[in-house]
Amino acid sequence: MEGGGVGEVVRVDGGTVFALPSAASLKGRVPVLPALREVVPGGGLWPGSAVGVAGPGAGSLGLALVAGVVRHGGTDESGGWCGVVGMPEFGVVAAAGMGAAPERLLLVDEPGERWPDVVAALVEAVDLVLVRPPEAPGPPVVRRLSALARKHGCVLVVPDVAWPGTRLRLRVEEAHWEGVGAGHGVLRARRARVSADGRGGAWLWLPGPDGRVAPVTPHRRRLEVVA
Amino acid sequence: MRVLVVWCPDWPATALGIDAAVPGSVLAAGKVAACTAAARAQGVRRGQRVRDAQRRCPDLVVADRDPDAEGRLFERVAEAVAELIPKVEVVRPGMCAVPARGPSRFYGGEESLRLHVQDAVVEAGFDCGAGVADGLFAAELAARRDGGVIVPPGGTAPFLAPYPLAVLERPELAGLLARLGVRTLGDFAALPAGHVAGRFGADGARAHRLARGEEPRPVAPGAAGGDLAVRAAFDPPAERSEQVVFTAKRLAGDLHAGLAAGGLTCVRLAVEVGFVDGRVLHRLWRHDGGLSAQAVAERVRWQLAAWRPPAEDAVWGGVAWLELTPDQVVPDTGRQESLWGRSGVTDRVARAADRIQALLGHRGVTRPFMVGGRDPGEQVVRVPVGDLPPHDLPDGPWPGRVPAPAPAVVPAAAPRADVVDARGRAVRVSARCEVSSPPARITVPGGDAERVAAWSGPWPVAERWWDPARARRRARFQVVTDRGRAYLLAVEDGDWRIEAVYD
Repeated sequence: MEGGGVGEVVRVDGGTVFALPSAASLKGRVPVLPALREVVPGGGLWPGSAVGVAGPGAGSLGLALVAGVVRHGGTDESGGWCGVVGMPEFGVVAAAGMGAAPERLLLVDEPGERWPDVVAALVEAVDLVLVRPPEAPGPPVVRRLSALARKHGCVLVVPDVAWPGTRLRLRVEEAHWEGVGAGHGVLRARRARVSADGRGGAWLWLPGPDGRVAPVTPHRRRLEVVA
Repeated sequence: MRVLVVWCPDWPATALGIDAAVPGSVLAAGKVAACTAAARAQGVRRGQRVRDAQRRCPDLVVADRDPDAEGRLFERVAEAVAELIPKVEVVRPGMCAVPARGPSRFYGGEESLRLHVQDAVVEAGFDCGAGVADGLFAAELAARRDGGVIVPPGGTAPFLAPYPLAVLERPELAGLLARLGVRTLGDFAALPAGHVAGRFGADGARAHRLARGEEPRPVAPGAAGGDLAVRAAFDPPAERSEQVVFTAKRLAGDLHAGLAAGGLTCVRLAVEVGFVDGRVLHRLWRHDGGLSAQAVAERVRWQLAAWRPPAEDAVWGGVAWLELTPDQVVPDTGRQESLWGRSGVTDRVARAADRIQALLGHRGVTRPFMVGGRDPGEQVVRVPVGDLPPHDLPDGPWPGRVPAPAPAVVPAAAPRADVVDARGRAVRVSARCEVSSPPARITVPGGDAERVAAWSGPWPVAERWWDPARARRRARFQVVTDRGRAYLLAVEDGDWRIEAVYD
């Protein structure tokens, strides 16, 4: 890829140029959507780690992480598989809008009390499992599933529930919906400041008007060669 | 070989519970796959498009085909026949065959056997015809003629002669022959066998053998040895049918590997399920084009579903062992073996899905597919892994569809919400889509009241207004609260519901 070891150069609208971590430096990481690369430390998720998403906006963050793996994951980056357990309300259309191919999702809507076995089966096969346990998981279950996930390099994303050993916590710190007024308009997009472990915080369109996740372009004038 | 065939008319319609006296039809891929006698009387035919069928018969009851239900319900017919003659071979749901020679001696002649079998099936509650003839093909036609007839030994060729070529179910061949002036099976049978094989190939030769009243295949190249049978024991006994089905899938894979090593394929399969108390459930399954592993597992599921009480999921007594035996084996002339509904499912994913299906049942793990629809929830169908994705779905436009971006959280059942104005009165929407007063606070179940910061609507949605029973009239709102959350609300008959959350 161009840019070699320095970084992959992405041109976004308005002509502003960002330097993102290069493909080489992402090797061995589970990929995220390009817009999230500057939020997530290292530009990707650690294989086998647990990721927490909490608070308002947790649903969209979960979708974005799933979409990143389905779109950019897999052995040859042609697309990975994701499992979604215990979330019948998972917005498939929104995930597709973020770039996920829906047919590479495995949905287990009603795992009931067998959810640890379902997650154990999935972590061996897919790159990321989004799971909402029906009850607070006990330490033995957490240990078993964390060990399995580490062994197979599968990322566990657990929304809203405390999961011991969580390596990375993503949060929407601030969010503003745009497009709706007092009795008119239509929801167009949301500006959201997303932080990782309380640090940083990049403004993203989550989602943008076309459903995608994109960095909010800062109003910065381009330097132009005038003479 | 003398064969008795039991044929249930319009089985796809019967399986869906459509009464023969009601004009009804069953659809596959938008065309009529089967219809009841009442519908046929009004001019509905197989292969018609729904629109044409409905023009001929405006009060036609229409249902989608359900092969699983056909298989399950037909078990009861097979069960009834097996009471008289244990060796029942299910050719396909709607038709089963038994060897007639031995039983006819026991029951005192072929006519007596035929009536016995027919009575047993009618007593089980199904209309049927039973016919006896040399070979399966002639016996099926005998069963379909006037409630069933007996074709005397050696009389097959004259019996078949007047039938049109369409009964061979080879439309291309029939069309070609019709243009050559050959219109009946008798005309076709009169052609020299060698020339037919030379001109129409192996399949043509097979059709020619059928038309002459001979078996479609000369003989199986050797009785399938017991060594090809595969068996699995359950220790402890399997309590859930999914466990057995899961094992059946694996066994079917082993069976196919064994057959492939010998260059063979199996067109008839015996499935035996042994229960803890020593009872054995034995059934033969025939398939026109070889049974894939998935299809074998499906048939085992049918067999078990028919056996256990429908309300309970536990296999009665527990299954101790399962055995698959290839009962009829022919040389493999090459075919595409497809285990999954769609390629692209990797082995690892397939295995994980198998494990989850063994835990939760076939519908436990699904893959979503995007289809057309207005509601955010309607735009996705969830297809159990291993089933074919839907096809021939209506394509938009969908007026009234919620505009992009799509909401992140779409509850399966929309929870209620309270929406009140600044003075605490419930917000109402009139029939002319006027809002009584701007919404000021909303309360979601399990949460406290949130102040409305911005809102938009109402957007009227009138669905299926032409069908009073299914018509819905709603008004949608998008609401943003002061906590930065956005909801998609709908009000219908004064009830507010949260259709989706833009979380």
